[in-house]
Amino acid sequence: MLVRILVLLYLAGAPALAQTLCQPNASNGYRVRISIKTALGNQAYEWNENEMFLFRATMAFAMRRCYKTETYNVDNIIVCNQTLRVSFWFVVTSPENSTMLIPKADVEKAVSMSRHRINNAFLLTDRTLEFLGIHPTLAEPVNPDTPPWLIVFGVVIGAVFAGIIALLVSSLLQKRRKEKGMMEDGQDEEDMQVKGVENGNVLDGIYNRGFTDDDRFTKL
Amino acid sequence: MGKDAARAEWDNPMQFVLACVSYAVGLGNVWRFPYLCQMHGGGGFLIPYMLMLVLLGVPLFYMELAIGQKMRLGSIGAWRAISPYLGGVGMASVVTSMYLCLYYNVINAWSFWYLFHSFQSILPWAECPANSNLTGPVEECERATPTQYFFYRETLDISGSIEENGGIHMGQALCLLLAWIIVYLFIVKGVKSTGKVVYFTATFPYLVLIIYLIRGVTLHGAINGVKYMFTPKMEQLAKPTTWINAATQIFFSLGLGFGSLIAFASYNQYNNNFEKQAIVVSMVNSGTSIFASIVTFSIYGFKATFNYESCLERVRLLLLNTFDLAEDTISLENVNHWIAELNRTHPEQFASLGGRLETCDLEAELDTAVEGTGLAFIVYSEAIKNMPVSQLWSVLYFIMLLLLGMGSMLGNVIAVITPLSDLKFISHYMSTKTLNGLVCLFCLLLGLGFTTRSGNYWFTMFNDYGATFSLLFIVLIEVITVCYIYGIKRFEKDVEDMLGHRLNWYWKIMLAGVSPILLIALFIFYIVNYIQGGTPTYQAWNKELGKSVVTEYPPYAQAFIGLLLASSVCCIPLTALYTYCKKRNLASGKRERTVSTITPRQS
Repeated sequence: MLVRILVLLYLAGAPALAQTLCQPNASNGYRVRISIKTALGNQAYEWNENEMFLFRATMAFAMRRCYKTETYNVDNIIVCNQTLRVSFWFVVTSPENSTMLIPKADVEKAVSMSRHRINNAFLLTDRTLEFLGIHPTLAEPVNPDTPPWLIVFGVVIGAVFAGIIALLVSSLLQKRRKEKGMMEDGQDEEDMQVKGVENGNVLDGIYNRGFTDDDRFTKL
Repeated sequence: MGKDAARAEWDNPMQFVLACVSYAVGLGNVWRFPYLCQMHGGGGFLIPYMLMLVLLGVPLFYMELAIGQKMRLGSIGAWRAISPYLGGVGMASVVTSMYLCLYYNVINAWSFWYLFHSFQSILPWAECPANSNLTGPVEECERATPTQYFFYRETLDISGSIEENGGIHMGQALCLLLAWIIVYLFIVKGVKSTGKVVYFTATFPYLVLIIYLIRGVTLHGAINGVKYMFTPKMEQLAKPTTWINAATQIFFSLGLGFGSLIAFASYNQYNNNFEKQAIVVSMVNSGTSIFASIVTFSIYGFKATFNYESCLERVRLLLLNTFDLAEDTISLENVNHWIAELNRTHPEQFASLGGRLETCDLEAELDTAVEGTGLAFIVYSEAIKNMPVSQLWSVLYFIMLLLLGMGSMLGNVIAVITPLSDLKFISHYMSTKTLNGLVCLFCLLLGLGFTTRSGNYWFTMFNDYGATFSLLFIVLIEVITVCYIYGIKRFEKDVEDMLGHRLNWYWKIMLAGVSPILLIALFIFYIVNYIQGGTPTYQAWNKELGKSVVTEYPPYAQAFIGLLLASSVCCIPLTALYTYCKKRNLASGKRERTVSTITPRQS
């Protein structure tokens, strides 16, 4: 009889006790804000009791993963003050003593460690599943051994050097062919050196092009 | 004559036209004209622009081509032939072109840098990098934007002011080296190689512009930008600055006064019909400016709309979070309605929002007009990072910038090399290839100074002062020389000789009357503006604030500005003096020499 009364009292009191443990702005609690429609748009799911259960289970999993010696259960995660926004507060109680709350820092450590898994359980990201007060650790910047730009630069400058070598080789070959054939066409590269030398030096007077009667080349 | 036959020539007139187009159509068409259009009343700006093109641009372009084609020499030789006292005009052109060569290729180096960095899955200017303890982004990036951070910190590694020097940025130096090697390859065989390259550098940018036009106008919000730009604000036409800016834009956009046009035309056939070509190239240049500004403004519109909608989204989230409303109650459309509603129903809670509530204004976003390197490298890359498949668009865009810049560089370098290779004592000692290589090497070594930490400030100084004032002076002297010292009648006869028909009355009136008057007016305006402007200032990047602050140039920098201006301009009087003294010595010394045919004035 007494046992039954005690059990009844416990069952009645536990939720009440749980409610006093979890309060907005609780010193050991965190506020969670979820933006499903922003993240998923048309494929957004409805937030209901089942999703809340998943949340509590995921939090229990995170606590278990961080503190391997203690077996947390769904009952250890208490949620309160849910709003239409889909935001709520939660606290974590210790598995041994359900009146004792796990300190904020420990909860933060567990959440940070399993953040990726928690996000994926809900198909959300760091921005759409926010734990207010816990900053997401940014991904480690990928530092490749060779910066990618240097690779592209290497390719381009290799192509350019190949072009230079091709140019040198082709002009060498041309020179050799010219020497063999002994052609005197005026289109040779070396003849261009004498272009524009027609200006005599000042002592002879400057050749004023304005008065020359140039040969008329046929218009193309 | 045998000597003339030895001069290299373009393979066909098309190469010459494409070379001129490639030279004239440059970065200024993309980043200066859209800005001017926006500042001076949108569609209405086209009126002064077209008018100045007809009054100033085309006649002067025609004149330079005529001189080059007739004299068949680079700028120094050509001006010395026209009037030996004014051979200094050619020298001043060469000095100005040299300054341009030094700093212009640095822009190509930046384009290469951005191009190489586009081959990554996430564009490096899309997000801020994390700071050392991975808690958040780097502070400088936080205060500025990721694109600004990438430009000022990772590309330039800019210092706080022009006085703080630093080491050379190795990445920039490598890109500059690459740019100069490519320029050398393009010009190594003179017009033979340049003629083939310009087929590509002149036409490919248009292909990219068309692709970008299609992409641009299909972007969300592009129509806002295009509408904003083309809405004419006719009251702007009443301001004199509009007309002056139109004249200046035409003037610099066509690349007059650098000697490049004279150099290009000197490789022409004697009877080439440059009159038609001059008109075609000028029209193509202006048409490209207008075309490019449509593209730029559709991109602007997209960026402004994107920023505006991001702002609305932030406000929406703020309201949802503060008032704990369900997610789908506030949408982007009714944000403003809800602001009023919530202010009415929950005034105290609303007041607690305080300064966090931003005002989102599309007009204000569109109003942020930018020109120059800021537009090309910051604003454009910001827009590109938000496009789908941004790597592709980024690569295309920077290839286009590169081609535009390289095309203009060709003209700049040829403007320096042609007169030098015409000089007897240089061509006697070295071949064209060696001369080209030496010039490129020289410019590369000096250009490394622009890759230091304070290099961008020196770049801005060169950009603002290196060419603007001296060019006006040079072209003014050119027009007066040709029309009054050489004589418009003689010029007419030369043109008739080359083309087969006489100068139209249009050319005569413009060259002898309207253009000189306009040039003098521009010149006076520049001087007045410069004097009234007080101490010259520049924009220094402040690391702590994450933005640029206006700073005055230190005294030695101001002295350097004066040196830049004076060094090219004083070539003209100094050469005149030198020639005068030399002739006096000659006349007194050797009397039996051939009568020099250089008397300036002959009936």
